[in-house]
Amino acid sequence: MSIITIQSNSGKTVKFEEKKFASGGMKDVHWGVDKNYVVAFYRDKQNENSKERVENIARLYRERIFEREGGEYWRKVLCWPSDVVEYNGKLGIVCPTYDNHFFFEYGSVNNDMLGIKGNEKEGKWFASASNQNRFLDPREKGDWRSYLRIGILISRAVKKLHSAGLAHSDLSYKNVLIDPAGGNACIIDIDSLVVPGKYPPDVVGTPDFIAPEVMASKSLKVGDENKALPNINTDKHALAVLIYMYLLYRHPLRGDKVHDMDPQKDEELSMGSKALFIEHPNDTSNIKNPENVKKTAMPWGDPKKMPYTICGPYLSALFERAFIENLHNPMMRPSANEWEIALVKTLDLTQPCMNKQCNQKWFVFDNKTNPKCPFCNTPYITMLPILNLYSAREEGKYKPDNHRIMVYHNQYLYKWHVDRTVFPNERISDADKRPLGYFVFHNNEWKLVNQSIPELKDVKSEEAIPIGGYIVLTDGLQLTFMNSLNGRLAAIQMVNGTE
Amino acid sequence: MRRLPVYLLIDTSGSMFGEPIQSVNVGLQAMMASLRQDPHALESVYLSIITFDKEVNLIFGLTELAQVQLPEITTPQSGPTFLGMALKMVRERVLSEVIESNGSDKGDWMPLLFIMTDGKPSDLLEFKEAVPLIRKMKFGSIVACAAGPKAKEEFLTELTDNVVSLDTTDAYAFQSFFKWVSESVSIGNRSIGAADDVALPPPPPEINLVI
Repeated sequence: MSIITIQSNSGKTVKFEEKKFASGGMKDVHWGVDKNYVVAFYRDKQNENSKERVENIARLYRERIFEREGGEYWRKVLCWPSDVVEYNGKLGIVCPTYDNHFFFEYGSVNNDMLGIKGNEKEGKWFASASNQNRFLDPREKGDWRSYLRIGILISRAVKKLHSAGLAHSDLSYKNVLIDPAGGNACIIDIDSLVVPGKYPPDVVGTPDFIAPEVMASKSLKVGDENKALPNINTDKHALAVLIYMYLLYRHPLRGDKVHDMDPQKDEELSMGSKALFIEHPNDTSNIKNPENVKKTAMPWGDPKKMPYTICGPYLSALFERAFIENLHNPMMRPSANEWEIALVKTLDLTQPCMNKQCNQKWFVFDNKTNPKCPFCNTPYITMLPILNLYSAREEGKYKPDNHRIMVYHNQYLYKWHVDRTVFPNERISDADKRPLGYFVFHNNEWKLVNQSIPELKDVKSEEAIPIGGYIVLTDGLQLTFMNSLNGRLAAIQMVNGTE
Repeated sequence: MRRLPVYLLIDTSGSMFGEPIQSVNVGLQAMMASLRQDPHALESVYLSIITFDKEVNLIFGLTELAQVQLPEITTPQSGPTFLGMALKMVRERVLSEVIESNGSDKGDWMPLLFIMTDGKPSDLLEFKEAVPLIRKMKFGSIVACAAGPKAKEEFLTELTDNVVSLDTTDAYAFQSFFKWVSESVSIGNRSIGAADDVALPPPPPEINLVI
C-alpha cells in the first residue's frame, strides 16, 4: 500500500493511502495513515469560491463551534472537516473518522447474510420498514426511544449549524449516521455547508429530502432568480422528513397519488410543486392504499395502522406544521430547536410496553381510555399517575406548561422537570443532570421518593416531604418543588389502564 | 414503493469461453454482494439477467434483489452472437413485466438496460429491426459495454449514446464494469448537484466513454 505524504494548507503533515476506499457523489475518499482521519478529494476541479468555502469551514466556522466553551460536545454529533489539502490539482478535505459505534457490529440477520458487518450504519437501513423487518439483526435496531434520542441529537446538531448562520444543504439518511443500539447520531458531509449570501449551494439535496420549492424549480438554470436553492429553511424540511422516517419508517410524501404517467415527472411533482402529506386530514388524495404496500413493510407502511399521532401531541403538532400547514411555506416550518424541545418532552410521555416481546419496547401513552401499545397492541393494565406541569411568572398564578410526565416504575425526576429555567440540552451542567427523585410502584401504591429536593411540598396540606422521605401519589395531589418562581407545580392525575 | 427494474444482457458467445466468462461470473457476484449492501437498492431494485449466444436464455426474470440466486453463467465453446434476438427478448420482457402507471396506481421506475458484448451481432437483420424498437421504449438509461479488442462499438452506438469500452476481458476489467453498474443502480440516494441532471457516476478509469 503506497502512502502519500503532503502538507495541508494550514501546514500540517497529512499522510494518506494512495488508493481510495470509497466514492461518494462528489468525492473520493482515502484512509489517513493511522485511520484516525480520512482525506476526501473532490473529483471535479473546484473554483476559487469553493476553495475559499472549504477553507472557511475547516478553519473559521470550525473554530466558532468547536473552540469555544462546551465545544467538545459537538464532536460527537458533527463530523467536521479539520483541514484542507491540495494534491495533483485536486482539492481535498481532512475529516475525523467516524466513531466505532457507527459501524455495524452484527449487521443483518442469519449470521449477516448481506455481509454488512463493519459497514457504516447509513440511516436508510433504519428508516425503512422492510429493511427493519427483514434484514437488520435485532441487536442493531434499538427500541423506539432510541429513535427519539437520535432525533434529539440530529435536531441539536442542526440547531447549532443554524444558530451559526450555516445551512447543511444536504441532510439525508446518507449524510446522517445513526446508531440506534447505542442511541448515537452524527451529521457528516459538512463540507457542502451553505453560508447565506456568501457561498451558494452546489447541491440541491438528496431525493426524499429535497424541499418542495427546490424540487419544483430544479430545472431552472443556476442564476435564475426563481430557482430555489438549499438554505436553512430547506434544512428544516429535510429534518422534519428525517424525524418522521426514523419514528415511522416511511416517507411522509410518498403516497399513491399519480401526478404524471412518466415516473420521473411524477417524482418531481410529488416531491415538488404538488407535494402532499400522505396523512393530510382534508385532502386524502395521496393516502396509501394498504393493498399497494409490500407485506414486509407492514404495519408501518399503512398510516391508518400507524398514524403520526402515535408520536404524541408535541411531535404531532410539529408534523402538522411541517407537512400540512407549511409544506409549501418555507418560512413557517418548525425550527430545529422546536423539534429538539418536542422530542425531549415526548420522552416524558413514553411508557414501557407490558409485552416483554415488543420490538419497540416503549410507546407514547396518549392519555386516552383503554391505552395500549400501538406497536404490538398490548393493553396497559394498571393505574398510572400523570404529572401535569405548571409554572408561574408571578406569585400564585400558575399556567400550564404544556408538558406532562407519564410515570412508570423506576422513572427518575430531574431538574428540568421541576425548574422551568433548566432544559436538558448541550448546555446543561453536570450537577443538573443528576436525578432528584424517583417514582416507584410499591405495596400497590405509586410513590415519589425525594432524593434531593429540599423544598418539595404538598400544596394542599402544606406539608414538606423531607429528603429521604416519600409521598404517595393520588388523584388531585399538587406538589411544588422550589420556593422560587422558577419552580414548577405538578398536578397529579391518576388514570386507569384497561381492566 | 416503486420498483427499479434492471436488465443485464450478457454475451455468452464462443469467444467469451474460458477466462472472460469466468471473469463475468466473478464480476456479477461482486455486483450482487455490493447491491445487497445498499439499503436503498434492497428496497427498490429488481434484476433480470439474459444471456445470448446462438440462443437467447432468460437466466431469471425480474426478481427482487434479496431473492436473486445467481447461477453460474456458462458459455458454449463456439457459436454466434445473437444480440438482436436478445434485444427482442428484452423488449418482450419489459412489455410484460414492467408496470406502467395507469393513472391511479404508481408504476415502476423506467427500467435500466446494461448490455455487455465482446464482439458484434451475428444476427444483423434481427439487430437492425430491434434497434428502433428498443430506442422507442422508455428506458431510464441504456448502457452498452464493448469488452475487449474485438468488440465493435459502432453497432452499440446505434442503440445508445452511452457506450463504454473495456480494453481487456479480464477479471479486473469486468469487476470495474460491474462495480460501475451497481453504482449506477444505487444512484437514487445520492446528492444531486445544483446545476446538473441526474447523471451516472463517473466511470472507473479502466473504462473510456466513447463519444
